[in-house]
Amino acid sequence: MHDSLYHGPPEGGLLVAPLDEFTAVYHRASGITHLLTEPAPQILAILGEGALSLDALLDRLGLDYDLADGTREALAARLAELVESGLVERA
Amino acid sequence: MSDETRSYQDPADHGSAAPSADGVGAEAVPTRRRVLALGAVTAGAVVSIRPALAQTVGSVLNCEIPVPDPGRAGSYIDADGKVVPARTKGAFPPSSRPFKGEEVKRAMANGSTLPGTDSERSRAYVKYIRRLQRGQGGFTCFASLQMPRG
Repeated sequence: MHDSLYHGPPEGGLLVAPLDEFTAVYHRASGITHLLTEPAPQILAILGEGALSLDALLDRLGLDYDLADGTREALAARLAELVESGLVERA
Repeated sequence: MSDETRSYQDPADHGSAAPSADGVGAEAVPTRRRVLALGAVTAGAVVSIRPALAQTVGSVLNCEIPVPDPGRAGSYIDADGKVVPARTKGAFPPSSRPFKGEEVKRAMANGSTLPGTDSERSRAYVKYIRRLQRGQGGFTCFASLQMPRG
């Protein structure tokens, strides 16, 4: 079920502004602004480099960070939010 | 004006895995990795701010969404909601009439079918509508439907 690839908007598709606790992300394609909290901006940054599966994304996050609650379920929940918002697409 | 050595918080920071010849000499501390909590946020990590046009409640239910938009009239819609060439096998023909915002809202809210369609075709159309982007016919109407339920 989790084998599908996730990818972010094409390069230049987002305007990103870190705002202390939040990261504001303007999605050019939809004209909608999103306020993200961790770990969403980190996930988005990685998926902006290329499409990854859930497991590959989890591995990649583990390379870059010490993960707390680093389970597939937790990551799947965060990805579902990003897909729902339109910032990430499931291919 | 001095260079403060701050903890670098770029979300895209990759912690330079490859050994690099750095002449800077500021790396006395071994790469300090940040802790990232994946499940700590229970209320959700994404809050979306809809465009101001979403305020136009009155017109929402009467606005129309053509499937597909006029720029791609005649094209078919596949089961994933993608626009594909006419007569693509397994894809659905375009809708003969645009859908009203109210019809789309109902279909998105409770999974009822769009008028004149069966459930599979309706599902494909709704996926198409969810993928609409600014500049495409029906986007403004769709964006208006995205308001939080009051």
